[in-house]
Amino acid sequence: MTGTATVALRRHRDRRALLLIGGAAVLTLLAALWSLGVGAVAIPVDVIVNTLFNLDGEKQTYIIMRSRLPRIVLALMAGGALALSGTIIQAVIRNPLASPGIIGINSGAALFAVGMTILLPTVPQTWLPLAASLGGLTAAGIVMLVAHRRLLSAAHLALIGVAVGFVFESGVDYFLITSSDAERSAPLIWLTGSLWGRTWDHVGMSLAPLAVLAGMAMVLAYRLDLITLGEATATGLGLDVGRQRLIMLSVATLLASVSVAVVGVMGFIGLMAPHIARHLIGGGHRLLLPLAMLVGMLLVTLADGVGRAIAPPIEVSAGILSALIGAPFFVYVMLTTASEQET
Amino acid sequence: MSLAVRYALLAAAVLIAALLSLVIGPRSDVGLGNILHLLFVDDGSLARSTVVDLRLPRTLVAGLVGANLALAGLALQAVTRNPLASESILGINQGAALGVAIAVTVPSLMIVNLDVMAIIGAIAAGFLTFTIAGGLTGRLDSIRLVLAGVTVGAFSFACVRFTFTLEDNLSRLVLSWVSADISAVRLAQAGPLALWAALGLAASLLLAQGFNILSLGDGASQGLGVDPRRTRFLGALLAAILTGASVAAAGPVMFVGLVVPHLCRLWFGQNHRHLIPAVALGGAGLVLLADAMSKLVRFPYETPLGTICALIGAPYFLIAAIRARRMA
Repeated sequence: MTGTATVALRRHRDRRALLLIGGAAVLTLLAALWSLGVGAVAIPVDVIVNTLFNLDGEKQTYIIMRSRLPRIVLALMAGGALALSGTIIQAVIRNPLASPGIIGINSGAALFAVGMTILLPTVPQTWLPLAASLGGLTAAGIVMLVAHRRLLSAAHLALIGVAVGFVFESGVDYFLITSSDAERSAPLIWLTGSLWGRTWDHVGMSLAPLAVLAGMAMVLAYRLDLITLGEATATGLGLDVGRQRLIMLSVATLLASVSVAVVGVMGFIGLMAPHIARHLIGGGHRLLLPLAMLVGMLLVTLADGVGRAIAPPIEVSAGILSALIGAPFFVYVMLTTASEQET
Repeated sequence: MSLAVRYALLAAAVLIAALLSLVIGPRSDVGLGNILHLLFVDDGSLARSTVVDLRLPRTLVAGLVGANLALAGLALQAVTRNPLASESILGINQGAALGVAIAVTVPSLMIVNLDVMAIIGAIAAGFLTFTIAGGLTGRLDSIRLVLAGVTVGAFSFACVRFTFTLEDNLSRLVLSWVSADISAVRLAQAGPLALWAALGLAASLLLAQGFNILSLGDGASQGLGVDPRRTRFLGALLAAILTGASVAAAGPVMFVGLVVPHLCRLWFGQNHRHLIPAVALGGAGLVLLADAMSKLVRFPYETPLGTICALIGAPYFLIAAIRARRMA
């Protein structure tokens, strides 16, 4: 192929990618706007716009600014973080079944966060992301240690992750059951991945770490491309695979753990978003990472909005909805990857 | 050691566990010294009514649930030829829980009674798991089976959790039931469970030969004139029914069906004819011990049975999963 043709092709692909990313961003914004309007009190669009931009006319300042806007901002942050985390993990482990949930990060983060709330009630809630990160790192560390010592198939790695998840979840159950009703209710709602009752404080304590980590993820894009080529090729191209892998997995674990700390356990987002994005745009991480992030944001915003819209004033947790959609998705991915491996 | 001696030792262990489960509790006037007197002589005392009305039903239910779940686990491991299979791993437990949760939340959907709803849920979940993993055709990919089961389980549990969000009173009920809190069971619940356990034991023994042949592989099985699909279907159905009945009575107790058959195989070998009675006894013993522990862990408060079993079973599952490389 001649040089000009390659350049033209690349330009075409880039234009398509930009269109996709722009489209996803617009969709996410629309979803967020819609989500602001639904719930126990339905708010029409013009009132939302009036409130957000402080225009004249009817406003709903309290509900929107105090209750719905922070949770939607959190939904965007958590969705983006989980999606980035899933994309990195799938690239590093080169396993389409991998996701933050499946390698145990969610359960580990949940155990440490619940443990902190119940055992150390005096510690301020702003420490939650730190506790959750420690838990996520512990769980991911165990899974990776086992995987490192034996070369595991994709499915077997997922199995180990599931088992580690069971261990941590049994601990979570123990904490929940042995605590009093009053202590228990908050973590219980939180664990189902609900955005209920989130305030700007939650946004404040997680925005900075997530922004830094997301930036790091974007910087890693080129190296992620290399690592998906396989260990030998990546080493041949001058990559210190062992070290980079550790850095990448740490970034991914921290991204997922911090989002678990603020929105609770939201399974399958980190699995679905990268798959959808890769299907749309292909494997190059420079474009895949932003698109996956937008898809993740869109999914969580939709899950949260739909959960409020189904049967107001009851709220269905976003985590429950994402599990209801994500579990069949996981089965679909498992069936398609298994048939690929057989051929 | 001869088989009879091993059975006798196991039965003795079960009896001791049952006595522990009966004796342990916050009352100081019930002890090992007078437990038999309290059980069999009605002296009208408060201690007597504590033992007979509160503790005995619970001990019976714990033992019977353990036996049922262990037998279900053994049948599933035989049917799938997969040492990791068990009702909680394959999502059958959670499917039964979903059946019960639906019946509790929307009473108009109730078919016959809770037992039947749980069994329907268990069968549906088991069917889904097996279909995803490749059906009952015998080409069951072992790890894929487990992953499919875990996913079906996660899906069912997400639905059960959904019922938490509907109403506060309901959520407390469902939560205590999901953690398999059996402190409030009645004697009337033990009767049907005993019936299921007896039927399950008999059916397992009838299927024992089939299980043995199945473990040789499908080819050998057909060569011996046994249709492997028939044994698989009956075994899976048996497991679903036993699980459903137990879950309806006590809630989803996890991992018993995984741990007990493994431990019994170490001591009683691979022959299912010898294994089946041992597994029934072992399951009863393990859950009775867990029940005793559930009263001790935070004495004088109780910790639900399901939580204790999960704390024991989950690490065991992790070890088994790590060692499962050979089977894959």
